[in-house]
Amino acid sequence: MASAMVKGGGSRLIKSVSAALGTRFYAKVATGTDIVSAAPNVSLQKARTWDEGIASKFSTTPLKDIFKDKKVVIFGLPGAYTGVCSNKHVPPYKENIDKFKAKGIDSVICVAVNDPYTMNAWAEKLQAKEAIDFYGDFDGSFHKSLDLVTDLSGALLGTRSERWSAYVVDGKIKALNVEEAPSDVKVSGADTILGQI
Amino acid sequence: MAPIAVGSVIPDGTLAYLDDDNKPQTVSIHSLAAAKKVIIFGVPGAFTPTCSLKHVPGFIERAEELKGKGVDEIICISVNDPFVMNSWAKTFPENKHVKFLADGAAKYTNALGLELDLSDKGLGVRSKRFALLVEDLKVKVANVESGGEFTISSAEEIIKAL
Repeated sequence: MASAMVKGGGSRLIKSVSAALGTRFYAKVATGTDIVSAAPNVSLQKARTWDEGIASKFSTTPLKDIFKDKKVVIFGLPGAYTGVCSNKHVPPYKENIDKFKAKGIDSVICVAVNDPYTMNAWAEKLQAKEAIDFYGDFDGSFHKSLDLVTDLSGALLGTRSERWSAYVVDGKIKALNVEEAPSDVKVSGADTILGQI
Repeated sequence: MAPIAVGSVIPDGTLAYLDDDNKPQTVSIHSLAAAKKVIIFGVPGAFTPTCSLKHVPGFIERAEELKGKGVDEIICISVNDPFVMNSWAKTFPENKHVKFLADGAAKYTNALGLELDLSDKGLGVRSKRFALLVEDLKVKVANVESGGEFTISSAEEIIKAL
């Protein structure tokens, strides 16, 4: 019934109610969700140059290869080369990589609805490729499966990812943080999730 | 949509860019091209090698020559968002005249009938590689590659028509 209300004009009311409650009960993922089961048959594309793409026959990475038997911190953001993403969201994850590793995290992953070549060029510009694994979700299938998409047509970006972060152990979400407003970095930052591991 | 051809009037459409304050803005193609001589060239993707190393540089290098031959605007379009286009444009600091415009949802590319499905490369629906010479909205020259190869869509080729 909640989802039926969300689809109609009641969605804004629901959003403000859920904001008051501090919940996002209309998202498909929550703490305890198995991220691989929530997005079956979904792959991400590792950030790469075109030549690397050719060499790997444009292979993609299934989610189970990323998450199974691993401790992963993953964060999603609206767009490569956009202001908040570049200046506020990525850098603290890069700067705190040693703290993540000290807590037993196998990889810190950044994902966005961009192609993997753009993600690669952006990651190189941010000098963050050594610390963070960047992946593209070029058709949004990963974020759509997890119901973590938002319409950013107003910023001429189209359908993009929410700004979010998660701590995932062997595919199971242990902590999930989703910003109310994609332009904020309040709950989805590196410092918050470090405290949740 | 059938691909745009010589003799057709180019469709109008809205493309995006970032202004000097890095704010997203839109512009209509007709407002740029009406009563003018313009070159519109399309590329499959920002930050991909043929686009970055061959197609765009050719137009940047010959921009003065093109302007000398009466071309008012040289427009590069790609199915990318305006933030990516803006950042990609900045990788060409020597550029003086080429305008980089974003066709994020491929609406204009589809209107031109020049879409190309590159999903298996992780790009999604993009533009074919092409170059058009348009005079007062009428297509005079349409050099369209069948995919992403780089043969007839170069600046060199289109200069021959001027």
